Amino acid sequence: MALEQREGSVPVVAHQTGGAVDGEVGVVDNGTVSIEVAHRWVPWLFRIGSVGLVLLIWELYGRAQETTLFFVPFTGVVSALWELAQTAEFWDAYRQTLIPFVWGWLLALVVGIALGLLIGRFRTFEAITKPYVTFLNALPVSTLVPIAVILLGIGYASRILVVFLFGVIEVTLNTAAGVRYVNRDLVEMGESFNATQWRLFRKVILPASTPGIMAGVRIGTGRAVVGMVVVEILLVAVGMGRLILRYRGRFQSAELFAVVLALILFGIVLQVVARRIERRVSRWKYEMERAT
Amino acid sequence: MIEIQNIGRQFNTRDGTFEALKDVNFAVEDKEFFSIIGPSGCGKTTLLKMVAGLIKPSSGSITVDGQPVVGPGNDRAMVFQHFVLLPWADVLTNVGFGLEMRGLSRKESREAAKPFLDRVGLTRFSEHYPHELSGGMQQRVGLARALAVGPDILLMDEPFGALDAQTRQLMQEDLMRLWDGEQKTVIFVTHSMDEAAYLSDRVLVMDTHPGTVREILDVPLPRPRDESVRRTPVFNELTAHMWHELRGMMGDPTAAAPE
Repeated sequence: MALEQREGSVPVVAHQTGGAVDGEVGVVDNGTVSIEVAHRWVPWLFRIGSVGLVLLIWELYGRAQETTLFFVPFTGVVSALWELAQTAEFWDAYRQTLIPFVWGWLLALVVGIALGLLIGRFRTFEAITKPYVTFLNALPVSTLVPIAVILLGIGYASRILVVFLFGVIEVTLNTAAGVRYVNRDLVEMGESFNATQWRLFRKVILPASTPGIMAGVRIGTGRAVVGMVVVEILLVAVGMGRLILRYRGRFQSAELFAVVLALILFGIVLQVVARRIERRVSRWKYEMERAT
Repeated sequence: MIEIQNIGRQFNTRDGTFEALKDVNFAVEDKEFFSIIGPSGCGKTTLLKMVAGLIKPSSGSITVDGQPVVGPGNDRAMVFQHFVLLPWADVLTNVGFGLEMRGLSRKESREAAKPFLDRVGLTRFSEHYPHELSGGMQQRVGLARALAVGPDILLMDEPFGALDAQTRQLMQEDLMRLWDGEQKTVIFVTHSMDEAAYLSDRVLVMDTHPGTVREILDVPLPRPRDESVRRTPVFNELTAHMWHELRGMMGDPTAAAPE
């Protein structure tokens, strides 16, 4: 790595701001540096190919069925989704599902990050909260859904709570781990410059923990989406959950699949957004890993 | 003046108390370049971190100009063996980091850092990130960061220990030049005898298990020094003497027994 470079030599790592090119730097015979460009679309080609293959199998298997009562070919699902998207009821259900989700999700992020920072930073706080964290981590959160509904009714409050409970634990644990595994040398270096505890936290520990925090955000977001659907299917028949239950009851499999597909699309969008933010906030980590 | 008086440091281990440092006494004069050399595990880094205020001694006291050291202070700055730069910040922000820790804004500290970056010859790398720099360049950033806070005392913990031999020699010469201009008190921990003799006014040789002061050597080489002093009889005699002492501690049966 960098240590082996001769003093004063120009760094080999090109400064890539956009990251549009993932290239390998190699030296050719005449001494000039050539960049072999491995374009970013190469992995995308494989991804699209893989998804395309699965969709094709889905389609063929669906068409081979005698009835669309149980299994619907992909194109059938897409056209059902298209039909649904024309109805006000569908968008109404989507909104009913998303509003409590967004609140519960944001709450999970804010509380999870705050708790995680405290747990990671202060041993006492870790000891105090450990029983609850262990409890929440050991328990399938779904089992709390009936209790939430009994306590808070079937309105937004109980659904917000369930989404929150699903998401918060991963955010907390990952944030705490991110803080706990901050390089000790960096902290000592900050201390050696006579830093106050607050500045040390703000300027060293917090930025050093961003990879852990962002991993928590990404995983927690996925879990929160699960919570969103689970509560509606298990107990409170509203929003997308109600549509799922209804179409299942009526053997409208194409519509049922379509609703599930809509939820999957939403989950994917969230994951992509979370990953984007993660890349941006902890870009230094990716660049550092690529350089070594 | 830095006075180290009766310093001791014990650790409790499963096998009882381990004595890392015992009855360490010495004083470092103002503007002196003072090196501490000793075998691995003799507690020289621990001692340096005590002067930095990062570790508390179990017994004894350390004073700087008569004031007891109770923690890190604005009069001291440290340079680390493994550079310890912020990986997410560019070079200029890293150089200004010490100032930022003392309450300046990011903008102010970056501005104030510029002349120090210039002094270590890295101005054109100000917006590079640490992982884009060689080890030698990273340590220049570490040195500029320490100088930027304007300390009276520079504490250097094997600063060139992680560098290759050629880079190391270049860095020694640069440090020598910088120090000639700056006139700061330096405590320099190293395990390299050449390095200690080349740079220092005095060299403290430490004994190990427990870490104690074995002897303090004067380096009677004229200043300013350049490469050529490495080939003088005084230099060779000095390094030979250090080797003799250190070898005795390393339990080599062919070496002379410690007096």
